Amino acid sequence: MEETRIGVYVCWCGTNIAKMVDVEDVAKEVAKLPNVAIAKDYKYMCSDPGQDLIIQDIKEHKLDRIVVSACSPRIHELTFRKALENAGLNPYMFEMANIREHDSWVHTDRAEATEKAKALISGAINRVKWHESLDKRSVDVHPATLIIGGGISGISAAIEIADSGKKVFLIEKTDALGGTAAKLDLTFPYMYSAQQMIQPKIKKTNNHENIEILFNSELKDLSGYIGNFEAEVNQNGKEIKIEFGNIIIATGLKPFNPSVIDNYGYGKLPNVITSLEFEEMLKSGNILTKEGREPDNIAIIHCVGSRNQDFHEYCSRNCCMTALKFSNQISSALPNSNIYQAYADMRAFGKGCEELYTKTSRKNVIFLMFDQKNGMPTVKKAGPKDKCEMLIEMDEKLSGENVEVPADMVILMVGVEKQEKAKEVGQTVGISLCGNSFYIEKHPKLDPVATTTDGVYVVGSCQSPKDIPDSISQVNAAAARILATINKGSVTVEVTTAEVNEDMCCGCQTCISVCPYTAISFDEEKKVSIVNEVLCKGCGTCGSACPTGAIKSKHFTDQQILSQIEGLMFKSFELQEV
Amino acid sequence: MSFQPNIVAFLCNWCSYTGADLAGTSRLKYASNIRVIRVMCSGRVEPTFVLKAFQEGADGVLICGCHPGDCHYHEGNYKCLRRYHLLEKYIEQLGMDKKRIHLEWISASEGKQFAELADDFTKQITELGPCKVKEVMENIKE
Repeated sequence: MEETRIGVYVCWCGTNIAKMVDVEDVAKEVAKLPNVAIAKDYKYMCSDPGQDLIIQDIKEHKLDRIVVSACSPRIHELTFRKALENAGLNPYMFEMANIREHDSWVHTDRAEATEKAKALISGAINRVKWHESLDKRSVDVHPATLIIGGGISGISAAIEIADSGKKVFLIEKTDALGGTAAKLDLTFPYMYSAQQMIQPKIKKTNNHENIEILFNSELKDLSGYIGNFEAEVNQNGKEIKIEFGNIIIATGLKPFNPSVIDNYGYGKLPNVITSLEFEEMLKSGNILTKEGREPDNIAIIHCVGSRNQDFHEYCSRNCCMTALKFSNQISSALPNSNIYQAYADMRAFGKGCEELYTKTSRKNVIFLMFDQKNGMPTVKKAGPKDKCEMLIEMDEKLSGENVEVPADMVILMVGVEKQEKAKEVGQTVGISLCGNSFYIEKHPKLDPVATTTDGVYVVGSCQSPKDIPDSISQVNAAAARILATINKGSVTVEVTTAEVNEDMCCGCQTCISVCPYTAISFDEEKKVSIVNEVLCKGCGTCGSACPTGAIKSKHFTDQQILSQIEGLMFKSFELQEV
Repeated sequence: MSFQPNIVAFLCNWCSYTGADLAGTSRLKYASNIRVIRVMCSGRVEPTFVLKAFQEGADGVLICGCHPGDCHYHEGNYKCLRRYHLLEKYIEQLGMDKKRIHLEWISASEGKQFAELADDFTKQITELGPCKVKEVMENIKE
């Protein structure tokens, strides 16, 4: 242990860390710790010059272990491991101390945050001393892909992959393809026909020689890992087993049910309908009330279930532009009708959208603003003297007046929410949901397509509300990633599995009973447990259960963690009691 | 200086560590006493780790894992829960207050909950005062 030479690097992350942590003081202080050969602070460790600094020092100062204290290891651990590799060191001779997400960003006292940074780094230094070189393992990639969900995202992904000659399994819970997009009439902002876009895709998917569609199906169970997954699919009560190398989740969205909002009278007043019901009406070619009459006054209410603390805090991203699209369609079909838009905020981001707003505002459309918090409109039945079916009472925000809007038809722009079984699918596949129950991507900015489980990708509205172009971009990115892995033929996987020291194993088989992957078996001849490295995922549960300490969780060994605990108790030399 | 407790927190990689990261990216503020150790799964947290923390001078130990049903490794958090209950009994036998250890489920989206937990647990340990284990053990050695 004496010869170990550790290099410690303290990142400023611009001002992100340096503002709350005295990085120069930290570097000076940790340089005094045993085995630390060199300690430096630098503006951006993840930048190319930052990484080059490590590579140079490894060569120049003969460093054999590296600690970088910067952001979360979930962001840049792999970046720095790569740098170690480039310098000829084993990538596992590395440890990260998270002094940004767990320190500078969450604390307000500079002295305290600086002291904590030192402790976290001291823990990392103590841990890295016990790190061992680990070899990477390469596994073959099964060339098939599983896609869950047959909406526009799912079928676009299927075609993209199948066209390159690779096999696709497509699971769809209903008996038809198309999802929500197939229910639309025209699309914003350019008024393209949704049917003209999606029907050829549906036809192509149905007839593609490389696509096997499983209708009325649900994913029951998933095992394996990137390159080698195996799933059990339930199709009408029949169990089907399939094998594939990658997964795309494209389960889409569900429209918000507006009957929970009393103000709007949905389900009670017959001519209050949802935006999707209105799409059906547009597709049929007739805008008619339930009584079969052309409406004189049509009111469109925005943000139904969206941007409201009582329902969903997020913006559903499609409704504002769909409402403008409706206005244009109504004004063409019924040029004499009065169109009212009751909106909370007009959100017209994206290509061609602001232009659609300008164009619509020049038509005979009246825009009325309301406050989501204190001024939700109320829809009520009109009196016998009124010349309309319903009246919408609202506090118009811009004029400050209480107004009554006449309406014969009210269209509720319903927001979107997660699918009924989003949680179950996530649990089966092993990915998490965010607070709004959309799937969490690997990184919100740098990797919005992959997930924390290698080989599993999320596309379309199951990841967050999206319009069609955004969904297709994500689909193409996921398909490109998957095709690249299939093309390469192999992937490297983590080797942080468990290992049994046969001399210490007493043969009690406790490990076998706790392993969730049946990765451990018992050698009857030697009377010891054996770990199957391919099945083991490295959770470490067996290591904690082993009464003799015979099981080692590679890269999370007892020695590494116990040593880290010691290091965490670090106190600045000046603060230590003499 | 008033008593500033040392708290060691074991966080699972998939849910709780990510939840703590989210507290950071959301710029939530909490007490700086918590020092985090990342493990792949809360099922990896050996009772020895917790006892070692007290031996080294920790005043409280926090363990966080995925919510039931959400474990990345299916059921590691249940294994953790079973050990936690035994550990509670064990440290009481040692004459320690079982409130010095705490297990909580924190999902990847619960940054706010993590920040609140960090504050609440720090407050709880501050009220309990310094843990004497390290001192006693050093005295025994002498």
